[in-house]
Amino acid sequence: MSVLALRLAGPLQAWGSSARFARRTTETAPTKSGVIGLLAAALGRPRNADLSDLAALSFAVRIDQAGTRVRDFQTARHTDTGKAMPVSERFYLADAVFVAAVAGDDALVQDLHAAVRAPVHLPYLGRRSCPPQGPVDLEIVRAADDPAAVLREAPWQAAAWHQERHRSRPSVRLTLLAEAAPGDPHGTALRDQPLSFAPSHRRYALRTVVQTSVEVPNPRFQPGERHHATATGRRVPVPPPRHTPEAHLTQLPLHLPPDGH
Amino acid sequence: MYLTRFRLNTARAGSRHLLASPQRMHAAVMSSFADVLPGDPHAPRVLWRIDRNSRAEALLFIVSEQRPDLTHLVEQAGWPTTAAWQTYEYTSFLDGLAKGGIWDFRLTANPVHHVRRSTDEIRKRTAHRTPRHQMGWLLDRQERAGFRVLETPAERRRLAQGDEHQLTVRDEQRHRFGKTDTGTGLANRVPLVTVTFDGRLEITDPELLRRTLTLGLGKAKAYGCGLMTLAAASGGTR
Repeated sequence: MSVLALRLAGPLQAWGSSARFARRTTETAPTKSGVIGLLAAALGRPRNADLSDLAALSFAVRIDQAGTRVRDFQTARHTDTGKAMPVSERFYLADAVFVAAVAGDDALVQDLHAAVRAPVHLPYLGRRSCPPQGPVDLEIVRAADDPAAVLREAPWQAAAWHQERHRSRPSVRLTLLAEAAPGDPHGTALRDQPLSFAPSHRRYALRTVVQTSVEVPNPRFQPGERHHATATGRRVPVPPPRHTPEAHLTQLPLHLPPDGH
Repeated sequence: MYLTRFRLNTARAGSRHLLASPQRMHAAVMSSFADVLPGDPHAPRVLWRIDRNSRAEALLFIVSEQRPDLTHLVEQAGWPTTAAWQTYEYTSFLDGLAKGGIWDFRLTANPVHHVRRSTDEIRKRTAHRTPRHQMGWLLDRQERAGFRVLETPAERRRLAQGDEHQLTVRDEQRHRFGKTDTGTGLANRVPLVTVTFDGRLEITDPELLRRTLTLGLGKAKAYGCGLMTLAAASGGTR
């Protein structure tokens, strides 16, 4: 067994698990169906292909940089007929960074790694309009079968500016979403276990997800800069320099002396 | 000559009314001179400036040939029973200026140039909009105005370009107020960009500098621009 870790970072991401019709919501972390879809596309599998081998991979994801949720009100017209398409509301995660990991047979993971490096269809982060920033593949860990264990050890992947913002802390606590056996009392059900990506009828099954947290060292930790960090966090207006032109002049009495009027 | 200092009580509506419009402040300043009729083109030059040192401290400086009476301003925008205005004797200070003297200065000005987009277009007065050009405007005039802005020693420069002189420019304000043309009676909009310069100068020509300090520098002198004041040079911190 091997584990393939992927860095999912980009200006915008969208990971829907319950999005229907004109309201296209996003989860706060990548869904299994979204990542499996990315891998299947990289392999070049058609939509109707059997994906039971990919769906059987075990999956975990870590939230390295949560990002912010943004809402887009989208209108569109049909390019052929010119008719208005349904007005939709689309949610995205902006400036987020995740590390996802899949575990499976050595040969399959090796194939996936090669496919991600030379993808047949370009990878995107949950929605076609969301390209990844930089290469998606992060590392391949051999002789490992638990993707969550790999994510506990992986270095923090957040953007440099985000790490810089936390430089007063030696380590940060990240959320880790791992797969659990169905019926786990700590888990929550999420309908993102892909059964078929066929365009005529996409199907997903329930999957149990357990949320834990993991402590990861901060490579940009600067001890003793605690004060500095808070001081620069707030902009203090610079007062103008003092200027007293009257200081070297002689003041005249307020009431004018009678001058002969 | 007289230099007068008046502190506006910024908590009063009357102060805000005046601070909001250079035109109203101009009218209030000019009405402090009993012998000057409104609109008199031959009246002696009066220069004024607002120094906004903080939210609560707004100072009005006036340099004038006659002694002003600011009673109306105190009643409208000051502290009528506890604080009035201070008038200082300015002539002896001006006479005492000597070549080579080093002073801190402050100037609120309206840096403009004249542009035309094509050769057959008339030239139009246009404000300088960037700090670099605004500083360049002052540095262009320093010789004719009788002073030289001191240069920053090479070891204290922090930028590749822009801090060659001991000069800062700040507080750019863009005004746009209405004015009725006295000749035609038509309503006009007056656009005005003002900036405040702080820096340190060396006197090169006391006679020219005396003219600068009493007659003003640049345009829009009626609207609080062009009054330069000198203060004792601060310790070598800049």
